[in-house]
Amino acid sequence: MRFQFRQIPDPVGTGVRPRPIVDVVVEGLELAPQACLLDSGASAVRMGGHVAELAGIDMDNAPRTTIAVGGALVVGRMVEVALEVSDEQSSYQWTAPVWFCEPWRPAFGLLGLTGFFDHFEVTVAAYEEWLTLRAIND
Amino acid sequence: MLPEPVASHYVVIGNRRYPPKQVIGLVTRLDRADFTSHQARRILMGLGFAVGRRVPTPSGRGSANVPGVSSHAAVRTSHSGPRPAGDERELSETLMLFRGEWVATKGDELLVAAPTPKELVGWLARHGKRADSMFRVPEDELALGGLAPL
Repeated sequence: MRFQFRQIPDPVGTGVRPRPIVDVVVEGLELAPQACLLDSGASAVRMGGHVAELAGIDMDNAPRTTIAVGGALVVGRMVEVALEVSDEQSSYQWTAPVWFCEPWRPAFGLLGLTGFFDHFEVTVAAYEEWLTLRAIND
Repeated sequence: MLPEPVASHYVVIGNRRYPPKQVIGLVTRLDRADFTSHQARRILMGLGFAVGRRVPTPSGRGSANVPGVSSHAAVRTSHSGPRPAGDERELSETLMLFRGEWVATKGDELLVAAPTPKELVGWLARHGKRADSMFRVPEDELALGGLAPL
């Protein structure tokens, strides 16, 4: 699957920066795929707690821990969920542990090592502003 | 009301997932044999509830499939008035007007912007729209930079 980098406005001014972002359907919530940034520095997949709320994910018995994200401490709760990515030709579904975090300041979800990079062979061509994903067990 | 097991479709109410037929059956007292899951789903979407489809996959394993070609018509944001379709650059310039807000996009178009993710998804459900992507437009460096866990 091939994806163009996403043009995201800078927080101030009129600049725009291309970023390696992929949209992920979480637990079949197809009407609103979650924009997620590829982040090889993240140890796992992390998303805002609002995503769990939107998808009706039960987190009552989910293990929780404190995580530092972007210099801030957040409480993350882990649930194994179904994820799906698609391009124009194909789609791929898998299950992975996702840490749903509160509070959540990042504008996107984060696709980290466990749950994402260990499922795909990832090629990033930043100069040409595209990336490809090849599922490892395809 | 406790949710029954979700076989395929679900609707989110009060942070819980329910089968759409359970909800409509309870509210209308109709026999569940008198309507389909799709009808129940459509009604609940029209009322602004988020609906989804459970995709069972074996744990730790993926499965590939080829989806049909999307045929969604062009739509425009209801919050900011009509916006012309254009290239991605035009979309990113439009997004600058919505820093800090949640947005849903489809292709190169902004579908809707809302102050909360719940309102955003509620709008999509009410209008029968399906976004390609939802996210918050970065309003400061914290939303963009230093994202990797320490």
